[in-house]
This record gives sequence, structure tokens and C-alpha cells, in this order.
Amino acid sequence: MALFSQTSQLFFQALLRKCRMFWPVSRCQQLFAGFVNFSNREKVNYFHVMTSFSTALPVDSKGTGVFPTKKRSEIDYEEEKGWNENREIPEGKLYFSSSVGAPKKRLSQVLSRHRFTNVQPPEKPLQAAEWNRLKESFQSPEIFEEVMLNSMIRCNSPIDVAKSLLTHVAKSDGDIAYHLLIKYLALCVQQGQTSEIHDVYDIMKTRFKVLESGAYSLLIKGLSNSDQWRMALTLLEEVKQLMIPSRGSYESCIKAASRHQEMNLAFQLYCEMLAEDLVPTLDVLQGFFDFSRGMKGAELQNQLFGILLYLRENQIYPHKTFIWSIKLWFESIPGGNWRGHLTNIKDSGQCPVCNHQLEDSNLTEEEYKCLRERIIKDVIHGTDTFRKTSPQEFEAFQTFVENRLPFDIVIDGLNVSHIKPRKMQCENLFEAVNCLAKGNARLLVLGRKHMLSNSPNWKREVMKEMQNKADFFFAENISEDDTFLLYATLRSGKHCKFVTRDFLRDHKACLSDSVTRHLFRKWQRGHQIVISSSGEGKRLKFLPALRYDCVVQTTGDTWHIPYKDTFDEKYSYEVPRKWLCIQQK
Amino acid sequence: MQSANMLLKKIVKSSVLPFAAQHGMKKDFFLLTRTLSLSPCLKQDNSCNPTEKLDLDAWKKVMKSGLQEEVSEMVSEHKELSTLTAAREILEMWRLAGRLVPESISEEQLKTFMECPSKSAKKKYLKYLHLKELHKKNEIRKMEEKRERRLKTQEQGSKPNETKRNSFMCLWANGMDRAYSWRVAQSMVFGQPLVFDMSYEKDMSIREVANTVRQIVFSEGCNRKSADPFHIHFCNLKDDSLYHREFIRHYSKAWDKLLVTVTEQCYTEIFPKEKLIYLTADSPKVMKTFDHDKIYIIGSMVDKSIKTGVSLARAKRLGLETAALPLEKYLLWNTGAKNLTLDQMMHILLTLKDTGDWKKALEFVPKRKYCGFVSKPVHELKKTLNLINTLKLGKRQEEVGKQFAKNYSKKLTQK
Repeated sequence: MALFSQTSQLFFQALLRKCRMFWPVSRCQQLFAGFVNFSNREKVNYFHVMTSFSTALPVDSKGTGVFPTKKRSEIDYEEEKGWNENREIPEGKLYFSSSVGAPKKRLSQVLSRHRFTNVQPPEKPLQAAEWNRLKESFQSPEIFEEVMLNSMIRCNSPIDVAKSLLTHVAKSDGDIAYHLLIKYLALCVQQGQTSEIHDVYDIMKTRFKVLESGAYSLLIKGLSNSDQWRMALTLLEEVKQLMIPSRGSYESCIKAASRHQEMNLAFQLYCEMLAEDLVPTLDVLQGFFDFSRGMKGAELQNQLFGILLYLRENQIYPHKTFIWSIKLWFESIPGGNWRGHLTNIKDSGQCPVCNHQLEDSNLTEEEYKCLRERIIKDVIHGTDTFRKTSPQEFEAFQTFVENRLPFDIVIDGLNVSHIKPRKMQCENLFEAVNCLAKGNARLLVLGRKHMLSNSPNWKREVMKEMQNKADFFFAENISEDDTFLLYATLRSGKHCKFVTRDFLRDHKACLSDSVTRHLFRKWQRGHQIVISSSGEGKRLKFLPALRYDCVVQTTGDTWHIPYKDTFDEKYSYEVPRKWLCIQQK
Repeated sequence: MQSANMLLKKIVKSSVLPFAAQHGMKKDFFLLTRTLSLSPCLKQDNSCNPTEKLDLDAWKKVMKSGLQEEVSEMVSEHKELSTLTAAREILEMWRLAGRLVPESISEEQLKTFMECPSKSAKKKYLKYLHLKELHKKNEIRKMEEKRERRLKTQEQGSKPNETKRNSFMCLWANGMDRAYSWRVAQSMVFGQPLVFDMSYEKDMSIREVANTVRQIVFSEGCNRKSADPFHIHFCNLKDDSLYHREFIRHYSKAWDKLLVTVTEQCYTEIFPKEKLIYLTADSPKVMKTFDHDKIYIIGSMVDKSIKTGVSLARAKRLGLETAALPLEKYLLWNTGAKNLTLDQMMHILLTLKDTGDWKKALEFVPKRKYCGFVSKPVHELKKTLNLINTLKLGKRQEEVGKQFAKNYSKKLTQK
């Protein structure tokens, strides 16, 4: 907010413009800047305030991160356009940041640091007197050193400047506070100054009984990139005495070990990490494939196959650079004769390169039963049956389904009825039912009682017409009909599909353990038919359920690995369409 | 021209500084001066090369020199530390590293901290303790300042006591209390019941229960001070439950003298079913008017992670009528969840009971959650919405108009 209303501002500007012959421009702008509250500078567009000192630095919006946030690959996010669409992205230079995303925000002091982003650290080491002068002119001297070191980290200043500041602090206070040491350490790690890292570590060790997690992870990160990477391992052991090391620390150590071809050590750390329930980043996994390229050994090969199976179990899809690492590793196995090709799999589930038929997406009887029970227990009943339905209603629904088994297609009536917003809801539903009823399929439509009330959106005649073609079940208006959809489909068996545009994320979230959640996703991929309406008046289009299962799979002499184009996590309901096919000649 | 110049100078000299100082612009104003004063300093550095060589590693020497005595201490220390002291040390280090960690922590809190299941839970707990500590410190500081001020005024104003002729003795607070109590006692006999349903203990964390009780204490307070209080019932309140213990902590001795009905029974056993209305934000029915013959039930629950449908499920189970406040109808909702705190509910119900005026009652909805009251149906509010969007987005009128047209064309065609 400027202090003046617009008009008076304009008047003022006019005045200023006239006065230019008397005052140098910069000065009158600065004068004017006095009127404008800086905190909301972006809202004042009348002129740009530039002082001779504040060189416009890129303001780090994360502000508090110790390391400058790395750029993510610049990919425009599209809206969720649909289901497993093959999104072609212009293949620019993909630069992947390590450890999925930027460093976490640190809990910082309560002060808002972005206020100080325009502090420019000096270029050269300063004398104590000069530091003093700077400090006195700073608006809040008590945090001057911290702010200064932060901005040094941000601008990646030479460490000599930071050293001169520390010297000044040490001489004036006789001690350096821990948080300043940490910041200095971060600067050294950023620039890979190994000897300095050692010195700081020695000082810290003698000065403090224990160190805290932040310092340890910085030290490990710094040392693992140097030739004294074994020291990082000893530090990791030290951290284990106190707490569970962060996955970042493990990552640094594993990378260091595999960089120096100590594969056994790396795998040992990797297993430890998994035992601690830490999720390894794709970066680490990729590192394994990169560094074991061309190495011999059945043991090693099995370890890497183990990683691929880990991807399978957790339904993780590698990204493009990772898939290249995998491909190159396979092709580099001495005497392995592996060949890899990037390909798209046909809808039939046949690989066009090796004509291998991929695994189908059906669950076993056992899995069906388990999933059905879990859906009833966790999703339908949950903590309180009344939250989504009522016991009487669920009872009634169960008997209704048992008497009419088996269905071929179960339709979420309300969801389908909203496909074309311009049309009446009952017409939409009617169209969908007609389309699906062609092959003499037994249909079940789930709805709510208000559909029977003969409103303009729900014409009674149309509803009557529909009920000749399909079975209908109407739930109470305040009940959740989706859960019934899941139950009916699962109860009907493996040939039964369901129709909804819903992604069922909230229902998946109700399931309490990840194994069942993965099972649910697998079942959903194989049994959900999605309707897409392409514009007004056109026919409905059905995207059929996937016939094959989209996970890493092997037959011993072939591997098929699905991958995604981008590094960013896809939504869990989207499945990639691109595959890496690897076969042994 | 010259005059303008003079005018400018005058304005700058006379008004800006005091003005800036008054309005807390001091910082910004001085920020400017700071940057200005820094620049010559920096220029100086570039111009005059320091003659003496800086010893850059001097700080290491300083740091190492002060260590001798500490090292000797270290050796005498026992290496084996119990887990608690180890945790304490780590907290201390975190505090030094500038994390949000409380300065002093009790054994009990430390145990709670150790039991936190994840790193993030630990962080959150520490932050909570830290903030609590800050609040406490500030309160103590304010109290001391107040005391000093009072002493000062006493010193200054120690005039000879004038005998004030007044027909009232100075027992206002006491008298007020008594008057309120009479009113509440009357409402206990003749008043309209209002039920707090205390059956959500298992759905809440310990902290949420504590928050709930605090909100109920507030509600009870504002009920007591109202002109026509409700007769409050705490139903389903089990003895020695968490709720109960929290209540005792808040009210201590006053708990037994509190003019409310506390019972282990369910409200369905006390009142006829057809008179009960369960208030819940998830209800499909919207409350139109406040009914003086009905008994409203409020679920005593704070759900920070919004658990939809818990209280609605309860009402369904018991087959009660439900209602939600007509927030959508009367307010242009802006942001935030539509579940209100218990004391806000209390204020709203009391206002409705006294006046029946929705506009007045919904004043108690937090201002951040809505943009304004609605007196007409939404499609007549195009202008207002435009204005609001302009204010909110800071966009120009036409752009917003276009967007608005896009967003609302559907709605308009439907209506």
C-alpha cells in the first residue's frame, strides 16, 4: 500500500518529473521510496525502486533451505486430463534433482528472512573494523552474522569472506555460536572444501559433546564427495548411536561406496536402509545400475535383479534416465547377450519387440477374497458403519447382490450421468446403459433415491425404460454409493468390470496397509472402464480396462519394465504406456 | 518550479519521518538508509586495499584455545548416558542450531517426545512446546510491566483518600457473578436445554480433547453472561474420562458448583427423540429458523484432521433429526472448513435465541472464512463478486469480468 491515494501519487509523480532538472533522478526515486512501504513492493507498479546498493538478487522463495534449491526439469504441468494418457513432452534437457525435490525447509528462526534477501555479502575478506561498520548499519545487529552467512550461502561467496567474518566474531566474542559454525559448514560442503570440513568437524567434536542431525548430515554429505569418503561411513555409524540416520545421509554414503566400486558395502548399507523402513530415492537405485556397469559377478547381478523386484513390489515406475541406466547395465553384462528396446505395448498386452504376452491383470482367488474382505472392513464399515451407509442398508444391498449374481458390468449411475453437462442427467445415463447393454451383458446401476423423484433431471419414463435393461439399486441420499460399486464388482468375480470416472483415491486411502493398497490399484487398473465424452452430440467413448498388468516383470530371459517420461511422480492411478523390453539372445 | 521543489523538500522534511515512525515504517525507511550507507562503505573496500594481511584462520585458534579446560571436564564425565539425558543433549544441540526447541523441558514432556512415532511428529511436538514457552514468557513479561506501571501510578497518585459518596460498595465482580448465577439457575429450571454430546473421546487425540474442553469452558462462560442463558447438559460424560479430568483441571473446585447438568446418560434417554436436533456441518438439511421448542445437540469434538461424517453417523445411528447452519445461504464463503468451534456455535445460538437475526448471529463466524453477507441470491451478486475478485486477485476489472463470465455462465444457465 502506498501511503497516498492514487491521485495524489500521480500528482506527486508529475511533480517529481518536473523536478528532475533540479534533482538527480535516482535521488528523487529514493526519496519517494521512503513513502512506499517496502513489504508490499510488488503491489506498487508505478515505478521501480532501485537503490544503488541492492542489486536484484533472485529471491529464493524457499528462503530457508541451506542449499540453493535446484531447478526441477521445466515441464508444464497439465491438468489431470485423463486416464493414463500418453503425454508427450518435448524432450528438453531434463535435469533431475537428487532425492526427489528440493531440500526440505528447515525450521528457521522466527524472523522472516526473506526481508534480508537484498543483503549482498562483500566480495573480499574484510577487516574487523569493516565488519563492525557493516554490522552497526544493519537494521537488526543481533542476527547480522546469521543473515550474512545465509546470503553468502545463497550467493556462493568464496569461503575466505566467511572466514574473515568468523574471525571477526571469534575475536570480538571469544566464541562462535553453533549455528554460525553450521552455516559455515554448509558453505564449505557446497563448495567441496574438504580440508575445511575436517577442521570444522574437529572443532565441533572438541567443543560439543554431541552434534545434532543437521551437522551430521552436512558432514556426511561433504565428506562422501571427497576422497576421504570412509570417514563419512564412520560418521554414519556415530549417528546410528543417537538416532536413525536420514535417507539423505544413507544416500550420500551409498553413492560414495558405489562410486569407488565397493558394491558389497553399498548393498549392505542399502539393506540397512530398507530395514529401517526408509524409502530409497530413485537416485540411489539408479546409482547402483550406473556404477555396476560392466562388472562381473552373479552375486551382484542378483542384487540388481532384487532392486528391479523391489520396483515391482512397490509399483514404482522408473523415469527415463533411470531406464537408460538399466538398459545400459543389462547390455554391459559380460557374456549376458542382453538387448534392450524402448517400445509401446499394444492394448492386447503383447510386446511388439519380442511378442511376449505380458502378465494379465487378474488377481488370484486368494487375493480377490482378501481384497473383498478388506473393502468391507475398512472402506464400507471403517470406524462406524453409519458414516457411509447403515447396517440395514448394507444388509439389504448384500442380499440384493447375492440374488442377482453375477453381473458383468457395474455402473456408477450418478457419476456417469454427469458426463455431458448440457444434457439431462437421465439421458446421459440412458445412453451409457444402452451402449453397454449391447452384448447381452448383465448390468447393475447404482444410484441414490433422489433419482426416483421425477425431477426435471430425472424423468420417470426414462428411468422406467432403463430399469428394463439393467438392475438398479438405490442407496439413501446421504449414503456413499461408490463403496457399493466396489463391493458388487468384487463379489461378481474376475470377469466383472465397473464404470466410473472417479479415481477412487479416497477409498484407496481407507485401506490400512500398503500391500492391500497395491492390490487395490492392480485390481482397479484391470477392471475399471472409463467413459470419456468427446464433445457434444458425439458418441460416448469407453476406454477399456487394461488387460495386462503394468508392473516390472520377468520370465528369466526377458524383462519388461514400464517407465514414465518425466521425473515427477505421476498420480497413482495413472499408468505409463512406455516400456523397456529386454531379452536375452 | 522552485516552489514545487521547496514544497517537496518541506514534505519530506516535515511529514515523512514522523509519519514513518508513527506507522511502523521506520524499518523500511531505515532499510533504505542502510542500503545507502552500506554502499559507500563497500566502495571504500574496493578502493583501499587493506595493508595488513588478514589472518583468516584466526577463528580456529580462538576456538581451540578455549577448549583445554573443557576437554578435561569431558574426560571426567561418564561415557555412558541414559537415553533421557542423551535426548536432552540432542535437544540442546538443536536449540543451538537454531531450531524451534523449548529451552527447558520436563521429564514428562521428554518422555512424550521420545514416544513420538516419527521424526515429523517429534518436530511438531517440539515446536508446540517452544511456542507454548514463548507465550508463557511473554505473559510473565507483561505481568511484570503491568506491576511496574501500577507501582508508578501508586507513587504518583498517593493522594489523601477522599471519602467517595457512593451508594454501591465496590463489589462489582462479585455482584455480577451472583446476578449471572441467578439467571443461570433460573434457566436450569425454566430454560431451553442445550446438549453437549461427550461421546467423541475415542476419535480424538489427547491434545484435541484438551482443546475441546477449553472451548466448552469458553462456551459455558459466554452462556452464563447472556441475558437468557441455555440450560446446558453435558451428556455421555463418563466419570474419570479424559474429558472429565480436563474439566476438573480447568474448573478445579468450581466444577461441582457449576450450574450445568452433567450426566452419564445419553440425551435420547432424557429427552423425547422428536424434539432433538443434532447440529452437524455434514447434515444435508439446512437450519432455517431457530426453534425455541427443540433441543439442539452440539458434538463436543475438535477435529483438526477434518473427519467428515463422524457426528452425522452418530445422529443416523440414533435416528435423530440433523441440521447444519445456513452458512452457504447467508455468507459468501471464502476459505476454511465449515465446522466452527464450540464457543462460536454457542455465540451464534445465543444470538439466534435472543434476536432470530441470522445476520447478527453469523457475525461470530471468523471473518477470514467469508467475504461478506449475502442478502440476495447469488446470480444477482455479479457486481459484488466482481469487486471481491478484484480486491482479492488484484486484477483489473475486465479480466475478472471475463473469468467471471466463464465460471458463472454455467450457473446462470442452470438457474
